[in-house]
Amino acid sequence: MKPLLKIENLSASVGGKKVLNGLSLEVNAGEVHAIMGPNGSGKSTLSYVLAGRPGYQITGGTVSFEGRDLTTLEPEERARAGLFLGFQYPVEIPGVNNVYLLKAAVNARRKALGQPEVDAYEFLQLVRGKMKLMQMDESFLSRGVNEGFSGGEKKRNEILQMLVIEPTLAVLDETDSGLDIDALKVVARGVNTLRSPDRGVLLITHYQRLLDHVVPDQVHVLARGRIARSGDKSLALELEKRGYDWVLEVA
Amino acid sequence: MSSPALPSNRDENWRYANLRPLAKARPDAISAALPPAGLALPPPLPPPLPGYERWVFIDGQVAPGLSAAAPNPFVSLLDFRDAGRELAQLLDSDLAQAGADFSLARINLQREGKVLHVSVPDGGEARLELNFVATAAASAGTSYPRVQVHAGRGARLRLIERHLSAGATDSAINAAFDLALASDATIDHCRLQNCADGASVFDTLTAHAGERATYRLRTVTLGGLTSRSTLFVKLAGSAARCELVAASIANGIQTHDTFAQIDHAGPGTTTRELFRGIATERGKLAFNGKMIVRETAHDADTDQSLKTLLNGSGAEASARPQLEIYTDKVRAKHGATTGKLDEQMLFYMLSRGIDRPQAQALLQWAFIEDAISHIELAPLRQEIEQLIAAQLNEVSALDGLVARP
Repeated sequence: MKPLLKIENLSASVGGKKVLNGLSLEVNAGEVHAIMGPNGSGKSTLSYVLAGRPGYQITGGTVSFEGRDLTTLEPEERARAGLFLGFQYPVEIPGVNNVYLLKAAVNARRKALGQPEVDAYEFLQLVRGKMKLMQMDESFLSRGVNEGFSGGEKKRNEILQMLVIEPTLAVLDETDSGLDIDALKVVARGVNTLRSPDRGVLLITHYQRLLDHVVPDQVHVLARGRIARSGDKSLALELEKRGYDWVLEVA
Repeated sequence: MSSPALPSNRDENWRYANLRPLAKARPDAISAALPPAGLALPPPLPPPLPGYERWVFIDGQVAPGLSAAAPNPFVSLLDFRDAGRELAQLLDSDLAQAGADFSLARINLQREGKVLHVSVPDGGEARLELNFVATAAASAGTSYPRVQVHAGRGARLRLIERHLSAGATDSAINAAFDLALASDATIDHCRLQNCADGASVFDTLTAHAGERATYRLRTVTLGGLTSRSTLFVKLAGSAARCELVAASIANGIQTHDTFAQIDHAGPGTTTRELFRGIATERGKLAFNGKMIVRETAHDADTDQSLKTLLNGSGAEASARPQLEIYTDKVRAKHGATTGKLDEQMLFYMLSRGIDRPQAQALLQWAFIEDAISHIELAPLRQEIEQLIAAQLNEVSALDGLVARP
């Protein structure tokens, strides 16, 4: 199988502090990988490094996405190439219409794929359908991006964007944190909708409970900036029972 | 007649204005040989707003062929000296003094000429659209637009004022507006300055509000090499209210400066002041919002929100709230910030595949929209939004961009 994302021996620092330290990981098309780990293990840093956030410095190793060197691309180029980051803390942008952002994002991706701009009517139909799936009221479309949204609404909006943009690889950074069980199920349904043989998902999570609803092909434990252990979904259950200390000791 | 001296940057209230272009302009009024040869008429104006009586002034003087054929009886062109006397009876002497203390207004007021005089009777209603088109170069003289407005008791006036250029790109304009609102009168005043990028645009405005009168001013400054607005509002009657919303975008080497003094004299008077300004490249912006709350103005309530955004290493901005309060019973809230584009917002948009220039334009758009959204008249707001989109240079499609609360 051709790897969608291939990370080899990746080291990265933030503000001069080394956070990732020789991380290697491969995600193939069609797979969902979960990354778990204690606070401060580098989970969010990994997501930001992949998305190209300024201030996250790669100090060693390689990252390739569908065979391309991801590290040489600007954040917007990564997105257009098919990488999507679901933010742990989605940003509020008052004054910019939610639906406008969605449309601009879709058109940016389509342009990169050599496709024409989306038809306004078709686009609205598409978005409405996805909003229904995410149990979001249509009034969210005309509001400022994430403006005044509750924590759960912001997370649902992230997944909505993902569903509309249809990325090849979605990196979801603690999308489950702060959600009640009903919202968690809605988010999980959204992620499951995206699953397909030609897409991959990297689920970064602190807790096992999301994985009851989005069943991963592989589970990795991140500790001290590298993958300390990998396994199938039973690893997540074991972590839930025994905590992270057990893995850290072994590592 | 000798001209009074121009203000100087040594004066604290004139520190940010760029006065040089005005000093270089020929101070006498442009002669009435209108229209200048070679100028295509009518000048490029937006379509008339439905229900509004249109007036067009070229280089400060009314252009009859382009203005309302059968003007409203409330509107007349008066000889300036007569108009001055008429308004002097309505205007508060302190305010007249405050206005006249600023020598720019004095330079304007000592000229011979006509003034557009608007007098809406008690309980009356009027809608006017005043378009000032500058066509002559500063070397040919200065435009002196002059408008006086009286809104009678309970009267309601909607006033739109545009300053535009056609022909020369370096015109000099020195405008004077005086407004008097009797008790319970309301004036909605929207002004747009979109002159050519080489123009010098100076204006002095005084407004005097009686009991429960409301003066709303929405002012958008986009054009001019240098632009300076000097605003004096006196809330004289009890429960009088002022809403001032100002937006400004200074690109290139533009300088936009506003001095707004709002004087609360009556009890229970209220002011809401909001400024949003963007300076890019080497643009300079200043907004000085001075609030005076007199001893008599107990229970006054003032709120100032002044924000500027810098995008460019040579851009400068100053947003300054100033409070002078002489009573204990007052609620005065103020906030002023000067910042750069929010990096987190920018990254969020980039991570959705949006181009950096477009993302920057969108953020600037969102910032200025805070002020523009206060323009209630939809066709005018859309006109201004189009101009801003063009100024931001990157927003290709406005469709659906604007988020409304």
